[in-house]
This record gives sequence, C-alpha cells and structure tokens, in this order.
Amino acid sequence: MLKHLFKLIWNKKKENFLLISEVLISFMVIFAVFTLLVHNYRNYKLPRGFDYEQVWSVSLGDLGESKDKDSVGLMHENLRNALKSLPQIKELSFTSSNVPFSSSMYRTRVSYKGKELNTDIYRTEMSYKEVLQMQLVSGRWFSAEDNASAKKSLIIDKCGKEQLFGSGEAIGKMISLDGEEQKVIGVVESFKDKSDFKAPEPAIFTRIDTGNIKNIANILIRVTAGADATFEGKVYKLIASTMKSSNLEIKHLSDLRSSKNKETTIPMIIFFIVAGFLIFNVALGIFGVLWYNINKRRGEIGLRRAIGATASSVSGQLVGEAVVLATFSLIIGSFFAIQFPLLNVFDLPASVYLTAQFLAIVFIYLLVILCALYPGKQAAAIYPAVALHEE
Amino acid sequence: MLKNYFKIAIAVLKRRKFFTFISLFGISLTLTILIVLTAFLDVLTSPAYPDVNRSKELFINRIVLKSNKENYTSQSPASFYFVNNFVSKMKTPEKIAIHTGRNTTNAYQNNKKMEVELMHTNVSFWEVYQFEFVEGKAFNAQDLENAAQVAVISADTRSKYFGEGALALGKYVEANNIKYRVIGVVKSAPATMIYANSDIYLPYTLAKSGLKGTSLMGEYMVTLLARSTADLPLIKEEYSQLLKKVPHPEKNQEILLSYPDSYLESFTREIFGKGEGSGKDRFFLMIGIFVFLFMLLPTINLVNINVSRIMERSSEIGVRKAFGASSSTLVGQFIVENMILTILGGILGVLLSLLVIFVLNSSNLISHMNLTINLTVLGYSLLACLVFGLMSGVYPAWRMSKLNVVTALKANN
Repeated sequence: MLKHLFKLIWNKKKENFLLISEVLISFMVIFAVFTLLVHNYRNYKLPRGFDYEQVWSVSLGDLGESKDKDSVGLMHENLRNALKSLPQIKELSFTSSNVPFSSSMYRTRVSYKGKELNTDIYRTEMSYKEVLQMQLVSGRWFSAEDNASAKKSLIIDKCGKEQLFGSGEAIGKMISLDGEEQKVIGVVESFKDKSDFKAPEPAIFTRIDTGNIKNIANILIRVTAGADATFEGKVYKLIASTMKSSNLEIKHLSDLRSSKNKETTIPMIIFFIVAGFLIFNVALGIFGVLWYNINKRRGEIGLRRAIGATASSVSGQLVGEAVVLATFSLIIGSFFAIQFPLLNVFDLPASVYLTAQFLAIVFIYLLVILCALYPGKQAAAIYPAVALHEE
Repeated sequence: MLKNYFKIAIAVLKRRKFFTFISLFGISLTLTILIVLTAFLDVLTSPAYPDVNRSKELFINRIVLKSNKENYTSQSPASFYFVNNFVSKMKTPEKIAIHTGRNTTNAYQNNKKMEVELMHTNVSFWEVYQFEFVEGKAFNAQDLENAAQVAVISADTRSKYFGEGALALGKYVEANNIKYRVIGVVKSAPATMIYANSDIYLPYTLAKSGLKGTSLMGEYMVTLLARSTADLPLIKEEYSQLLKKVPHPEKNQEILLSYPDSYLESFTREIFGKGEGSGKDRFFLMIGIFVFLFMLLPTINLVNINVSRIMERSSEIGVRKAFGASSSTLVGQFIVENMILTILGGILGVLLSLLVIFVLNSSNLISHMNLTINLTVLGYSLLACLVFGLMSGVYPAWRMSKLNVVTALKANN
C-alpha cells in the first residue's frame, strides 16, 4: 500500500515538485519557530538562584572625579547608616553596577591550574546574599573572618564551578583572578540574572575592597512589603542629601526583569505572528491544491468506488498520498535540519535542535493531514454512477 | 485587447471563489506586512518633527581610540573637551548642536513615581532642532553662561508632573534634589527621534561632571547643520583634517577614529560598519535578503495555486492554440491576468495596512510615533506588488504555453 502510494507520487514528481518545496520551506520555518520556543522554554524553566521581589536597585550615578578611596568608603558608611535607620529597609548591600537584569556587564577571565574560564564578576558585601536571598550549595558566604585572612576569598556559582572543577570539590581551591590567587570559600546556586530566558553563565562574587571601591556606585535594597512610592521618594531625598550625585535613580528589580524579558519576548512574538501568517497561507494553499486535484480525479475515484472500494479506503488513500508527499519534503528538510546540531550552528545544545525537529515533523504531518481530511471526505462522497457518467 | 483580458480575468476570479480568496488573502497579507515594515523604517529614517533639517545634517556620536596593534579598542561618545575645543571651532557647518545622551532619574510628585530623562544641550541645539514651543521659549546664551537653573520640558512631562492641562511656565520641576525653573514647554518629540527626544532639557553648564579634563571620551554628541547638502562632503573633509590636530598622547590610544555620518549611517556604522565603510550597503543587503526570504513562501504558494488554476483551463488554452494563438500571446495574457489579481490584492493590502497602522498609532506602543503611508511607501509597495505578480505568474504561464494542443483539448473533463 505505502509502496504503491510512493510510486504514485514519484510518477507525478514534476507536478508535485512545487507542493513538495512549499512543504519543505514551511518545515524550515516551523523548525526555526520550535528551536526558539524549545530553547527559551528550557531556559525559562531553570531555577533563578535568587529572589528579586521587593528588591530595589539604586544607581548613584557619576560620583564626580577626584574622589579618593577613603572618602568613598566614608560616604558609603554614612549612606548605609542613614538608610539602615529606616524601618522599611530590611537589608542593603553596595555592589558593582551589574545588578540582576541590568544591561551592565563586567566579565573577565580566571584560571585554575591552567584551565581558563570567562566569567561575570560581581563586587558584593557580606549582606548581598541576604538581599537577594541566594542559596548556598556548599561552603559559606563572606563573613567577618575573611577580614583577617591573608588571601582574598571569593564565591563561585554552580554553573562556573562545574565548568572549572567538573564534579570535583571547589571549596578551598585557589583561583587566579585579577592577577592574584584567591580562595574559593563557597558555591551558590547558578545565578540566572541576565533575563528569565538567558541560561545562567559562570559567576564569581568577590568582596568590595580598596582596589575597586571607587567604581562602586550601586546599592541593592531589600524592603518590606509596605514600602510604597511615598517611601521611595523619601529614600531618594535621603540619598540625594547625603551625597552629591549627578544622576540618582531607583529602580525595582521586578521592573528591570520585565523589561529585560521583553527584549526576548517581543521579537519572538513578532516572529511568531509572521511565521503563523506564513503557515496559515501555506495551509490554505495546500488545501486548495489538494481539493483541486481530487476534483480532477473524479473519474478515477468513481471507478475505484464502482469496483468495491469503501469510502474510508478512498479518503484514506488521498490522505495517505498527502502524507507521503509531506514525507518527501520532511526527508529533505531533516537533512538540512540535522546539519544544525552537527555543525553546531548558533551554539545551542543538540537536544534543543532534535526536540525542535521532532516537534516540527509532528506539526507538519498534522497540518498536512488536516488540510487533506476535508478534500478526502469529499472524494469519499463521490457516487460512482455520477462520476462515471460525466465521462 | 487589454479590456478583453480584464474581462476574462474577472470571470475567472468569479468562477472559483475559494481559490480567489486564497490568492487574495496571501497577496494582501504579505503586502500588509511589507508596507507596515516600510512605514516603520520610513518613520525611523526620514526627517520629521523636530528634526526637519535631517538631509542637511551630519551626526558625530562616537569616537574610537585604538592601539597601534589594534588589540585594544575603546569607544564612546565624545567628551565636552573634544566637542568644545575642536568640533565647535569648525567653519563649514552653519550651526553646531551639542547635547548629551539621555540620563534617567526619578521624580516623585503627589505620591507617584516618575522616570524622567535629562539631556544637557547648548543653545544651537534649539536652532538645529525645530522644536515647537507650547509655552515659553528656549534658554539663551546668557542663561547658559550664568548656569541658570532653568529647564525646558516636554508637554508629556508637563502633564505627568503638573497634571493634565496645567500650565508650567515659571513653576519648578525637581530632579536629583535640585529645583529647576521651567522656562519653556515643547511639543513632545516621538520616541523614534533617537537623538533629540528627552523629557527635560537643561543647559550643559548645569552638568555636574564631564566639563573639565582633557579626556576625549565623554557623553556628548554633535549634530552639524550644513548650509546646503553640497557642503556635506566639505564638512566631512574638514572634520577629518581636524582629527589630525587632536592630541591623544596616552599609550594604547595611538589611532583616533571618528566620522560625521548621515542619520542612517550613524546606526548602520555601529552594527555593520567596518573600517571607513559606514555599513549602509550591508544594511540594505540584509533588508533585501530578508524581504526575499519572507516573500519566497507566499510566492511559491501562489505559483502552486496558479498552476492548478491554469490547468483547469486547458481546454480554453487548447482551443486558442488550435486557432493559432502563439505561446507568447498566451503567456502575456496570463501574466496580465495575474497582475490584475496581484493589484487587487495590493489594494486590499494597502487598506489592511491603513487599519494596522491606525491601530499601531492609536495604541501608542511607541510614544508619539506617527506611522503614515506616504508616496514613498506606496511606491515601494506598488513595486513589491509588481515583482510579486511577475514572480508568481511567469512559471505557470510558461508551463501553460508548453501544453500540447491535442492533450489540452482532450484533457477536458
């Protein structure tokens, strides 16, 4: 039966060439759609590793030139004391400008026994973990005992730990960072801070020290649930009067997160609308062409019915023909699609492509069957007497 | 003759309404998407309020410093030092506007939080950009020199800050804990005016940092207004001469690059630019490839449907051939028929895009964006329509003309 259908299609390959190429291109479009969907959905499902609700990010702006590190340290202390006295503020931490969901990035290369790793660096304080409610996997966060130690200490996230140490132990190892050996004292859960749709990248947390305090101009504040715009205005005034800043700005991490997510979702939605329109267009086209072909073959169908073929076997044949036609396209399409994981285009894991390819194949089959069902049913309704009489 | 073709085309369209619907649907939606995209590009690049002189303007948005070995590169907008000591001494431009990028800060009014954007400008900014003043006027050279705490705000900011319909002249807006007296209110610039739109405009002398020092990197951008378009190459020449005189003695900063670009080039250079090239050609190439890929599927679909439809008419073709019509006549007829279909689809497409554009404009998705279908956009869509019609008509017509008379006549059933 299937062999017979293949033969039928093969004999008419010239007529079917256009239909095959149309299904082929649709397959590629659908493949792209599903690749995007699968990739983004997988990243979306990954745990975030911290909590952003009720956290504000304060950017102090340009603090002006000619500041020495002592006066910056003093200013930080004044600001901290002033803010801590407000009951709505639970905890706060000074940090480098790469707060979660911001566009700011600070990347560098670290090495461990000759193995190198590109990683994000976050300058933090002892309270940073509390502000973002990060979860420790092993070891500990910074504490007062680090003040006395001769070597600087750092904390790495799970993603970075796996890339640098594999499954081995990380605590106590020395990593070379900023040209000096620093000790790993803790591992935290992977830090997915770029956006909900971006996979976590290696992250290393270090403490703010005299070497970099001049560049620290951001504060993360965890507030209580009752903190509203009036309170925010008060905080703004308080900070502005404590220090001289050119551009003070308070943002909520939840707002930053939604605008960061939009950078992924809006282009995706536009792409889906365009792809959806293309596919709808194609579906109508396939439907029309199949319908027309069936009308052309009334004689043949009438004859089959006359010699005893059942209605379901006639419609089954037509749907089967459409499926075989789609198979031709899908074989060619899969050949192209399989190149993506093989050549590692776009740096996505192979499983994403394979899942997307599987889903795209299912989608195309469903689409073709759906388009063929109605014309098939119509063909089954042909009365042999009427059809044969026309000749 | 054409009238005859037209009659036949309409008759054929009426015969198979479902096919007609599919064809028209495909054509009109494809064109709608293309027209909306073109309108969007048009609004981004063509001169409009407040930047009406765009064809006579050049923009300097960034300077690049490289080391000799090119292993160290940094780029940013220019510093005030660079702009004030070198660029503003240029002779060829008629006017030189300088302004910073937008800096966001918060304002709190009536228990509500607002995000406001601040931009520091010079006086020429108000001459180069033709803002329409709803109230008051711009600050003058005297205000600038005295570092008077005055501000020009946009109409949007006025209604957000002072309430709907309130007047703002002489009142105070507060940002960064400093009160500025409002001396002018301008009609809000659309967000698509990437360089000139802001909420609050201040004299640059009020900037708290960046006015001192001799670093070349800073946050100032320049708009050079030429007397006429013929002066543009002269300005470019003068600017490249001027760059040679700018000292940049630091290590790893041996090469200084910067270009005055037209508006479109100032964006394409950032994304596609390589060396001296502005990347404009590559930008157009990318758009071309995108449009081609986008139109490929609907075109194949249309070709497919057309082939089906045309085969349906094999008896008509057989008869005409038997009576001596040449292949080229038949091909011509079919292409004209197809053009009529495409143009019908095109008209529907324009109507649909008017609807989409109306919805987009009234939704205020991008603030104050005003998409329009002007003659340029219409011209491009007509072109797309013709290309579409030709592409989808030629192959079926060729297949038809190859039909054998005998089989064509016999195949009728």
